Amino acid sequence: MNILVVLRMIPDSAGELQLAEDGRSIDREWLDFQLNDFDDHALEEAILLKEACGAKVTAVAVGEGANRVLQMAAARGAEEVVALQSEEDAMISSREIAASIAAMARAKSADLVLCGVQSTEDVFGQLAPYVGALLDWPHVSGTNRIVANGAVLRVTQERGAGVAVTYELATPAVLGVQTASKAPRYVSGSKLREASKTPIGRATPELSGFERSAEIITLRLPVQGGSGENLGGNAETVADRLITILAAKGLARN
Amino acid sequence: MKLIACTEGHSGKIEAFSLEMIAAARSLAQADDEVVAFFAGRDAEGASACLGAADRLIVACSTRLDVIPAEAYTLLLRDVVTAESPGLVLVPYSANGLDVAADIAARTGWPLISYVNEIKRHGESLTIVAQMYGGKILAECEVRLPAVLMINPGAFAAAVPDPIAAVNVQTIDAEPVLTSGKVKMVAIDMPDYADVDLTAADRIVCVGRGIGDEASIDLARNLATMLGAEIAGSRPVVDNGWLPKLRQVGKSGQKVKPKLYLALGVSGAPEHLEGMSQAELIIAVNTDPKAPIFNVAHYGATCDLFDLVANLSDRLRAGSGR
Ligand SMILES: Cc1cc2nc3c(=O)[nH]c(=O)nc-3n(C[C@H](O)[C@H](O)[C@H](O)COP(=O)(O)OP(=O)(O)OC[C@H]3O[C@@H](n4cnc5c(N)ncnc54)[C@H](O)[C@@H]3O)c2cc1C
Repeated sequence: MNILVVLRMIPDSAGELQLAEDGRSIDREWLDFQLNDFDDHALEEAILLKEACGAKVTAVAVGEGANRVLQMAAARGAEEVVALQSEEDAMISSREIAASIAAMARAKSADLVLCGVQSTEDVFGQLAPYVGALLDWPHVSGTNRIVANGAVLRVTQERGAGVAVTYELATPAVLGVQTASKAPRYVSGSKLREASKTPIGRATPELSGFERSAEIITLRLPVQGGSGENLGGNAETVADRLITILAAKGLARN
Repeated sequence: MKLIACTEGHSGKIEAFSLEMIAAARSLAQADDEVVAFFAGRDAEGASACLGAADRLIVACSTRLDVIPAEAYTLLLRDVVTAESPGLVLVPYSANGLDVAADIAARTGWPLISYVNEIKRHGESLTIVAQMYGGKILAECEVRLPAVLMINPGAFAAAVPDPIAAVNVQTIDAEPVLTSGKVKMVAIDMPDYADVDLTAADRIVCVGRGIGDEASIDLARNLATMLGAEIAGSRPVVDNGWLPKLRQVGKSGQKVKPKLYLALGVSGAPEHLEGMSQAELIIAVNTDPKAPIFNVAHYGATCDLFDLVANLSDRLRAGSGR
């Protein structure tokens, strides 16, 4: 089985996000870029499938810092790693990269395309269903377990509130991974050093198969704070206040 | 113009967000417009009994399957879209919606905006406010109709549940699509609440990724015990295997409504807020003053969660020894 797994680099949104001067994008200059969490799980699921049934894994990365993440993917077990050129300083639009991923899936005779279920930049729609629609392959998002038996996949999907549904489908298919069957593995420094020799292929983007979705007119920060009370940043005084608040509401004790 | 509101339900229950989709469509409909609700599933009667805020209801009916795979839902909806030529399709941001919205947009070539919180209509175009970066940024987009929108649960007040007149209900047989589809359902696992039922808990201490590692969960667990609370986690905490799945709060976890929700190191991504923003008292501790959790918190603190847990635990311990 040939698996293509897509890795998107996105700004670390735990850090402070500032708007760029044009007001239509975020200022990327001082941001840390990191692998989209869900794509990390997609990579892990691809490697687990390889270990379980001998698949070949090709990782394709897009965005700032792609090389670093591809070396990590090689250290974790991807045979082939490819950087998909992206516009510098631009948000990664799933709608726009879908055509490139679909073309690569065809060129590599992929049986399975794995993407993270979403990225926080997916404002124009999710990657897996776009790629599925372009290839006319079945797609399932929100997966948290994938088991392959030859060309037949058993895929478990989270439906919320603890409900999980298991589906059976034949490859070729596209899956949006929510959680891998096991937490993403740690790779040692020595493995990373060894993997740094893996040649990184380059791919140029295909023209999107879709019309542009829409224009972002402006980005803005949400109005902060709601109507809540700010207790400040001193742990001791916060603890004192909380004890009083909890006691007043009868919540400090059983 | 026709506006299609996608609705869902299973196990004899219509999802609450279904009524929100109809309300959103209704708020955009002009004088000659028609709001058409689409439902696929087994509970056709349930749908007819509550989706009356729509002008018309199209039910794709299955006698067998309670949960309809997104593939089948999409195929059925695609036919409805072809037959009705709507100007707008509203899809909930749900497990199902994730697959449905982009597929419909791709097959029609229409634009799609996801994570929609607000919509304003100006004739043949819309101004949309959508969330990005885990709710830390709002994007204002302009989109021309026809279009597909994926809407955040909770963004619109629900329409009133009301029966719909039988003459306005059209039924389609979903079975042929379900049997010919490529994605076959083989099992449904329902949650086993034997360990814990967070939906019944009245005090919850929830840890987010800010807790850092598995060992530190014990600190929060001890605090929870002192408060008579259940311990819960955000998605990354559960994905890392630090807490069991039934203790996850949010979109794909449990929707809770406790008297006390103490969130430690939780950023407050929309998917987390979906599960807890209805709690009676929300206290959030996060070193990032811009964390979206503060938008729903009644009390917020920007100190380090470890310092706070230590201080709070000391005080509670001292109190219990008195
Ligand atoms: C389909 C789908 C379903 C999802 N379902 C869920 C769900 O059910 N539940 C859920 O939670 N998420 C869900 N998510 C994921 C969600 O989008 C976020 O990724 C997740 O909620 C982030 O979790 P977090 O806030 O714990 O982590 P992060 O976003 O990493 O935030 C950690 C926070 O901790 C703070 N922090 C760090 N150190 C400290 C410290 N020492 N003291 C105080 N604060 C500190 C940081 O400032 C940061 O704000 C879902 C996503 C998708 C796509």
